[in-house]
Amino acid sequence: MSESYTRRRVLAALAAVSVLPVAACGGVKGGSDDAGSDYPTRAVNFTVPFAAGGSGDLISRAVAKAAEKPLGQSIVIANKPGANGAVGGKEVLASSPDGYNIALAVKSLFAITPLVVEDPTAIQPDKMEIVTTLVQEDYVLVVNAQSPYQTVEDLVKAPSVKYATAGVGTGGQLSQALLFKGAGTKATDVPFDGGAPAVTALLGKQVDALSGSLAETMEHIKAGKLRPLAIFSTERSEFLPEVPTAKEKGYDVVVDQRRFIIAPVGLPEAVSTKLEQAFAEARKDSAYETFLKDNYMERWEVSDEEARQHLKDSAAQFESLAQKFGLTFKS
Amino acid sequence: MTVDQSTPTEASDEPRDEDGPPTGGPALSAIAGAIPVALGLATLWYARGLGFGALADPGPGLWPSIVAVLLIATGAGIAVRARTARDTEAFTRGTTAVVIGAASLAIYAYLFELIGFEIPTLLLLALWLRFLGGESWRITAVVSVLATVAAYLLFITGLGVPLPHLIGS
Amino acid sequence: MDFGSVLSGFEVVFEPQNILYCLIGVTLGMLVGVLPGLGPAATIAILLPITYNIEPTPAVIMLAGIFYGAQYGGTITSVLLRLPGEASTVVTALDGHQMARQGKAGSALGIAAIGSFIGGTASIVLLTFIAPLVADAALEFGPAEYTVLALIGIFLVATLGNGALIKSVAAAGVGLLLATVGLDPLVGTPRFTFGSDQLADGIDFVIVAMGVFGVGEILYNLEHRLRPQPAVLSFGRAIPRRPEWLQSRMAILRGSIVGFVLGVLPGGGATMSSLVAYAVEKRSAKDPSRFGKGAIEGVAGPESANNAAATSSFIPLLTLGIPANATMAVLFGALLLQGIPPGPQLIVDHPDVFWGVVNSMYLGNIILLLLSIPLIGVFVRLLKVRAGILAPLTVLVTMIGVYSIRNNAFDMFLVVGLGILGYGMKKLGFEPGPFVLAFVLGKLLEASFRRSMRLFDGDVLGFFQRPVSAVLVAVLVLTIVVIPVLRMVRNRQASLTPAERKS
Repeated sequence: MSESYTRRRVLAALAAVSVLPVAACGGVKGGSDDAGSDYPTRAVNFTVPFAAGGSGDLISRAVAKAAEKPLGQSIVIANKPGANGAVGGKEVLASSPDGYNIALAVKSLFAITPLVVEDPTAIQPDKMEIVTTLVQEDYVLVVNAQSPYQTVEDLVKAPSVKYATAGVGTGGQLSQALLFKGAGTKATDVPFDGGAPAVTALLGKQVDALSGSLAETMEHIKAGKLRPLAIFSTERSEFLPEVPTAKEKGYDVVVDQRRFIIAPVGLPEAVSTKLEQAFAEARKDSAYETFLKDNYMERWEVSDEEARQHLKDSAAQFESLAQKFGLTFKS
Repeated sequence: MTVDQSTPTEASDEPRDEDGPPTGGPALSAIAGAIPVALGLATLWYARGLGFGALADPGPGLWPSIVAVLLIATGAGIAVRARTARDTEAFTRGTTAVVIGAASLAIYAYLFELIGFEIPTLLLLALWLRFLGGESWRITAVVSVLATVAAYLLFITGLGVPLPHLIGS
Repeated sequence: MDFGSVLSGFEVVFEPQNILYCLIGVTLGMLVGVLPGLGPAATIAILLPITYNIEPTPAVIMLAGIFYGAQYGGTITSVLLRLPGEASTVVTALDGHQMARQGKAGSALGIAAIGSFIGGTASIVLLTFIAPLVADAALEFGPAEYTVLALIGIFLVATLGNGALIKSVAAAGVGLLLATVGLDPLVGTPRFTFGSDQLADGIDFVIVAMGVFGVGEILYNLEHRLRPQPAVLSFGRAIPRRPEWLQSRMAILRGSIVGFVLGVLPGGGATMSSLVAYAVEKRSAKDPSRFGKGAIEGVAGPESANNAAATSSFIPLLTLGIPANATMAVLFGALLLQGIPPGPQLIVDHPDVFWGVVNSMYLGNIILLLLSIPLIGVFVRLLKVRAGILAPLTVLVTMIGVYSIRNNAFDMFLVVGLGILGYGMKKLGFEPGPFVLAFVLGKLLEASFRRSMRLFDGDVLGFFQRPVSAVLVAVLVLTIVVIPVLRMVRNRQASLTPAERKS
């Protein structure tokens, strides 16, 4: 990580001393002009701003492994968790744009986190390069298999609902809040410290419902311990084809998680092309394909412009919905 | 929480090293009580803006405020028994070494990400061995170089911990 | 119970490559356990890419070995350097380090290793027979139960110290306060983060423990660097003598049971188990005043408990697909990468993996015991190293270990700050034990309490209406009212006839 950093500093210092007169008239751009042509000459650092073992970590490792061959260099993963990916993300975006520092990012950081935390230094979708988009993960509304609620209608008509979420500012929380507010249900949200404790609470019937990612819930659905009622996506999921979308049921709630890879702005043309190609190749890898199937992730493979627009649209949409229903996450 | 079962005499029963540092006076004991009180008051002031919520939904400010009250109560209790308490230690001239030690660690942390771990590690070890530990120059040189190399081999080469470093890729 | 698959699990274990990976795992685990800060979770994460190329069963056997191997290793720094790397070894440091200072480091580590072995092995046996049963019981634990459990824990913490009770309570209070740093767990309001998102997720426990114990202790020793170090002449024997064994065998038994039961609870189970085990020993001792001054039961009980808990924390992972702690979360990921989703179906779909891993723990614990006893003799020699050399090396390993938790230099500043706090506390007569343990339990208590109130719609009586939580409330009342009253009576008797205390 700092190796590039240091080397660059030394180079910059040398350059400053020796070519100062040239720089004055020639407009030297910090020596990054030629940096792209033979990229990559050493390992690429891939910062995963989430804890090891979670979905974000696993998808990063899977895609990194597949991208090493087309890239021609190894990709070294370092977990740097904190603030839904803001800590690691900000750091990578502040590093030099030479293609040796990339990071995983998630949609919720741009679309949901602003509803919860006021952060004047938050990462803006326009202030980053999107190297590649990766996956989309849907949220499914589940109840305990022994619960009396068979459908979404049953659940929203319940006199009172306590629902679990994986924490404040998660897609699971937003999707349920919008659903129950829209339906006028008397519902209380109970945030837990991550997805696993929330699932545990539902398995133990401590709560009535939960909206969680497929990765968190599918094994329990398959084992017959949890019953899926609806999925918060535009179309039915390929993994749960018989489960209706919330939209079909008349509740216009679409919330999902998407993951992509970012880099600091100002990557040399050659570098960004090389990275894009490597990851495009990686997404075709058969082991990667198996990984996606095993972990219930759907492909989200769009252009960087489309991805950027999607982030902005979702942020605007969630904000207006939250305002409409008077949802306050900030206090 | 109840604190009434305390047995104030227990503290003085504790054996001390014969060549241990001098016991702090009542003033230091009073400070030991004042710090929790100050911390509690600051917390109360900070928490007042967080919101206490209702019983059905306690807010973010409630728990810190409860803890703050606990701190103020215990701090006051400590201050009251300051006259007789003998469980503090006076600060001595050696405190300077503590300040230098702590400062060197902070500088180490600063340089660590900036220029990689090798040079700061060497310097930190040298400082601690020679000036804080009073080792000879020879031992200082041998131990600091060997330890830096060993740390490199163990953490970076062996365990693959992604530490920022200068040498190798 | 399908004994065929249990037995075929043993066949899996004794395949040469699985024995090899088990050996690698536990050895590596012991090593990282000894290195403060570099915990099993980080190590398993680092090794994840390697496991891609290994078959699932040996891969998981190795990773599991790292986890419980680290429990053996962590004790060593707790006892020798007073540097606990895990929440569950904090209480071991209390009496263990005192024993080391009295020249009984070998005995402390020896009894810890034997206790760990017995606790771990007993836990595997119980796991084999009653895992699904226990897993269902763990689901009965909701926010209300965790609230009361955490409250019991905090009361136990406050009585843990040796100095004045009021100072222990104050130290615990500061720990509770520090635990509130970060985004509010229920509504996301930033608390004491001062606008920095470095603090948004709160402070990692390991940083707190290494700061106030490790760095604090080292800074404290710097002040007296000119003072001749108390020479440690003897280390004691790694294989306990008969009286030591007699003294600790019941502690080991009680610790194993406590550890197995509490370890099943996801979230705080292992920490609570060592704490409860210590409290049980202190309470049931004839002379509780020996505790904190090198009582061997104070090492044997908690060490048996935390290893039993480490083993039983596999139960929620393997039978329900719920990771009970950070390390289990990484193991969960490792299983997913292998294409084996942990969950209720695991034992049905992949009995070879399930029983292979469970049974490998017998082997792993035997290896660890055999490895520990001779290694203790090596490690205790650390105490012979001059402080002038040992301190810089300890501080270096601590700083690097702290960095590796989140790969973040900010945490290194935090650990220095907490080290200064630890130093100040020591000077002013506050003990770090209550502080650190209250920090762990404070998070659990606040969040669970607020979740409970939301679930109960604000009705406090809810705590008495659920069977498990009602029982726990009764235990709480017993601990904070009945037992202290009894103790006061006993203390009064003791002060009347001081001779009795020595018997």
